Amino acid sequence: MSDVRPEDDAAPGDSAADGSGDDPDSEVPPHRAVPRSGRLDSEIRQGTPYTESQVIMPTVKIVAPFAFTYGLFITFHGSGSPGGGFQGGAIVAAVVFMIAFAFGIEATRDWLANTVVVALAVGGALAFAGIGLIPVARGGAFLQYDLLPIPVKYGLESVEIFGIAAIVSGVLMGLFFLLANGFNANGNGFGDDGRAEEDAGDDRGDEPDAPDADRAAATDGGER
Amino acid sequence: MTGTSFLAAPALSQTAPVVAQVTAIEASLLAFVVLTALATAMARDVLAAVIVFGAYSLGMAALYTFYRAPDVALTEAAISAGVTTVLLLLTLAKTTRIDHDAVFESVNVPAAGAVGLLFAGLLLTMGDVPAIGSPDAPVWSNPEVSQWYLAETYAQTGVDNTVMGVLAAFRGFDTFGEAVVVFAGGIAALIVLHREVFA
Repeated sequence: MSDVRPEDDAAPGDSAADGSGDDPDSEVPPHRAVPRSGRLDSEIRQGTPYTESQVIMPTVKIVAPFAFTYGLFITFHGSGSPGGGFQGGAIVAAVVFMIAFAFGIEATRDWLANTVVVALAVGGALAFAGIGLIPVARGGAFLQYDLLPIPVKYGLESVEIFGIAAIVSGVLMGLFFLLANGFNANGNGFGDDGRAEEDAGDDRGDEPDAPDADRAAATDGGER
Repeated sequence: MTGTSFLAAPALSQTAPVVAQVTAIEASLLAFVVLTALATAMARDVLAAVIVFGAYSLGMAALYTFYRAPDVALTEAAISAGVTTVLLLLTLAKTTRIDHDAVFESVNVPAAGAVGLLFAGLLLTMGDVPAIGSPDAPVWSNPEVSQWYLAETYAQTGVDNTVMGVLAAFRGFDTFGEAVVVFAGGIAALIVLHREVFA
């Protein structure tokens, strides 16, 4: 689990400390509220706030396997006990949140590739639709389980496991990583400065020829 | 399965005062939920409101368990207490947090009056709500619907959990629509944030 923590972990905190420490006085971006009183601590920790904690990391190391197993149990055993794909998928996603809080969101983002998140969400939707359409192809109604080549109970369970649980866990992880990115730190608050096109091509946006504005955004948390 | 044990349990009499049926656990859970809900609404600091809201969801999950709705309780605990709190905290970390001197908001009198009126109106309807577990409650007194599902779910689908049987089989198409809504929610977040990748 410790290999999930690359050396660029400390980068957001460090660069936020010295990179944006000089500009809170300059001017507030239009998408951010003007401070009425007190401090504006989002300027200090603009990136994903992360502190390496000797308490949280071992705790998560111990708890995460059990929570993950519990999520899988809730998913797979939904036909015999309370629960099902929705609850189990949410618990599985919550395990990823836990790991991200303990070992850094950016590190977790690198560890859990975008492909996994997208495959879960899209594959779940396709699996649910496919399981529903097989009976239609055999001349029945949508989701008519007795026309599936497996017992009815396993038809329901496959919908819960491959359909609902996959969609929910994938979408929740995706929302988490999206929110961790947030709006673009510079400009009008949206990421429409051309980085969307970069995102499509490359996972890591730290090309050496990236413009200065992009690099600033990346170091203080604007990166994926 | 759950339903039969429910029926076999001694039926609470309709005429008994409701107060007599409230146990200490139930009363403390209800008080906890009401207090945390009020604290969520009144907290001046948004971070405090988010954390208290998580506690409120946990109390609701315990209450659902107490009322023998473990599926709802699991959903409440996982989604509301867990995931929503994490997402709200993450959003707060991205936005401005202002130091406050006061712990609670000052009460907005017109808003409080409107809420009080609505609350009073809802209280007036409480007289017609059947007592919890009452055999005369509509959920028990119509054998054509709820009792049919309890009796037929295992025979027709082979699953013990009636909730899952209803969700995945009897109203499977609705569930498919819900799953697609969740999927569309993720896509919508991508579009709003002008991104093409999740992670």
